[in-house]
Amino acid sequence: MSNEKKRHVIPGEVIVSGPYRAEQNTVLQGDKVLATSIGLSDVHDGSVRVIPLTGGYYPKDDDLVIGKIISHSAMSWEVDINSCYSGMLPATDVFGRDFSSHSDDLSSKLRKGDLIATRIVNSDKTRDPLLTISGRELGKIDYGELVEISPSKVARLIGKRGSMIQMIESATRAQITIGQNGLIVIACEDSDGLLRAINAVELVEEKAHVADLTDRISEMLELKSD
Amino acid sequence: MGDSLIIDQLKKTQILDLLKEGKRADGREFDQVRELTIDVNVIPKAEGSARVRLGDTEVVAGVKVQPERPFPDTGDKGMLICTAEILPIAHPTAETGPPQPNVVELARVTDRGIRESGMLDMKQLVLEKDKSVIGIFCDNAVTDHDGNLFDACSYASTAAINSCKIPKYEMQDEKPVKIEDEFIEPPITTLPVSVTMAKIGDHILVDPTIEEWGIMDARITITSNSDGNVVALQKGGSDGFTQDELVKCAEISVKVGSKIREIIKQSSSGED
Amino acid sequence: MGGRDTDIVLLDEKGIRCDGRKINETRKVSIKAGVLKNANGSAYIEFGENKILVGVYGPRDVHPKHLSDSDTGILRCRYHMSPFSVGERKNPAPSRREVEISKVIKEALEPAVMLKQFPRTAVDVYMEILQADGGTRCAALTGASVALADAGIPMRDLVAGCAAGKAADTVILDVNNEEDQAGQADLPMGYMPNLEKITLLQLDGVLTPEEYKKCIEIGIDGCKQVYEIQKKALQEKYFSKGDNN
Repeated sequence: MSNEKKRHVIPGEVIVSGPYRAEQNTVLQGDKVLATSIGLSDVHDGSVRVIPLTGGYYPKDDDLVIGKIISHSAMSWEVDINSCYSGMLPATDVFGRDFSSHSDDLSSKLRKGDLIATRIVNSDKTRDPLLTISGRELGKIDYGELVEISPSKVARLIGKRGSMIQMIESATRAQITIGQNGLIVIACEDSDGLLRAINAVELVEEKAHVADLTDRISEMLELKSD
Repeated sequence: MGDSLIIDQLKKTQILDLLKEGKRADGREFDQVRELTIDVNVIPKAEGSARVRLGDTEVVAGVKVQPERPFPDTGDKGMLICTAEILPIAHPTAETGPPQPNVVELARVTDRGIRESGMLDMKQLVLEKDKSVIGIFCDNAVTDHDGNLFDACSYASTAAINSCKIPKYEMQDEKPVKIEDEFIEPPITTLPVSVTMAKIGDHILVDPTIEEWGIMDARITITSNSDGNVVALQKGGSDGFTQDELVKCAEISVKVGSKIREIIKQSSSGED
Repeated sequence: MGGRDTDIVLLDEKGIRCDGRKINETRKVSIKAGVLKNANGSAYIEFGENKILVGVYGPRDVHPKHLSDSDTGILRCRYHMSPFSVGERKNPAPSRREVEISKVIKEALEPAVMLKQFPRTAVDVYMEILQADGGTRCAALTGASVALADAGIPMRDLVAGCAAGKAADTVILDVNNEEDQAGQADLPMGYMPNLEKITLLQLDGVLTPEEYKKCIEIGIDGCKQVYEIQKKALQEKYFSKGDNN
């Protein structure tokens, strides 16, 4: 079982034949592993997957996402997490265990339109994913600009061990919160830095598939500095 | 009624297990049609009619004939339109109101099966070219649904049209006038017969029951005429067919169709 | 099939058809993927003189809830002809023909899309025929597959569409509007090229069993040619070298 070179694939194309494990975005058909998404095939250690270049966000446990409050019931908030499933943030997560729907008013803490950095606690597909905002770096977002990129490009924006995002942050002095769902919040005291950070994020999305992207971003950021 | 009939899991397992042994739940062969009875002239007021019982599925077709203005680009041909509807009495899930997509499909497939075969020589149904022609309407009403409405409607339509009596019309003062008690024989050129097959795994089953319909992967309805030619076809369902399966299905349709054609002929023989 | 009488020569002595094509030649097909901003996936296809725009939304919430399925996502398709798409203006309200074609296309795509991973959602495919010239359902199906892949909907295979038919007693590939009106048979087909399955198939017209076999063969061949163009459209959008953009 050799490791094959990464290849561009579209749905239905055969990636390999033989006793491989079919993982993300692939399907086993007889003894062939087919791609089910447009992307880059990745074969190693006997398993095959495709890194998708398109597609929406599907909630996974422990993902940090940026959400927007859509509405609330007596017991929870409904949160748009840029997915086909809305997230559910229980009132007890914010008010604590002695939450009482009679005395505690949800809209006093979070209102329609508020943005939150939140983590997915339990994404079982038979009901809406459960969220939490108790935790470091989680909670209501008061400040910054919201940028949306395709969720399939998030990994590229983060880079190997965070290298890409750290490069952008240090060059622009912005704080960037990346949601796995493609929503990004960029905060910067300096308006020029803010603009440069936004441009860099947008460029990563546009050129995600280009091989020398890191160099191009670094070039773009340095050119603008004094 | 939607295609959303949910067959219980036990029944599904039973049907699949039997198929592996080459058997069907009701004991039929894979290419065997259920008991078929066809009675014509069941609605004397209509110009033609037939009642078909295919297993427990029942359809009544009525033919009405009236003079019509021809379609603009076929002024030298009569008009033939077939419809179908599933009456609310036919099944607990059948609905009133505008037709669901599956009923629209049933009507259109029935219509194409009759029309594309050239069953009636439409050129002989003209009263005055570009002005007045004979319009033949064959409307199918499903009264009891136990699967395979495509074929039941096909047989009812073919039998009703084959046995109908077309009133004689004459143009008087530019208008068509019916001559009482005079009729002409319908200009029949061929008898189209459809055969519907369900695909379950690799098995092809002719004349599916409502339960086989509920668990099938895909289906195909193929209509053939008296010459053994294929005149209409409709694939349905959520799976596909291989090239070889398609060729096999056409062969089955022609073979089974010829037997059914005899039953249709017999239903109309003995009529004046 | 109109079986209408015509003065047009459908096939001349040299085996050339009324629009200059050979009997096994498809019309010119071009496809562009990802042409709409809002839709999750989209495609624009020109198939001969047919011009069709397809947009895909989803997976997304289903309303009303009773239409959703707790075990799987559902596929909904709408094939619609614009009033200005045909010679005589077409009423914008959906006709029975459009309802049937929508269903047939849905059943042609279902074998390819994998929606079990998105219970309680729907994937909506909207196909708008802006200009029609025969074979619109095959072209719409072709565009829909590209739009679904563009949206990132997981698929076992693409579905390519092309019709076979018969005119002047000869089996031909890709029936155009004149051939549909005056010819003898029209067999629209949809095919999954890697899984080798036919998922859309209809027939109007009369074919002998031999002609039927031949139509299926030539139709599959046409679908394979169309598939190459679908592939190219997706490769152009996703895999082209970004440097010169």
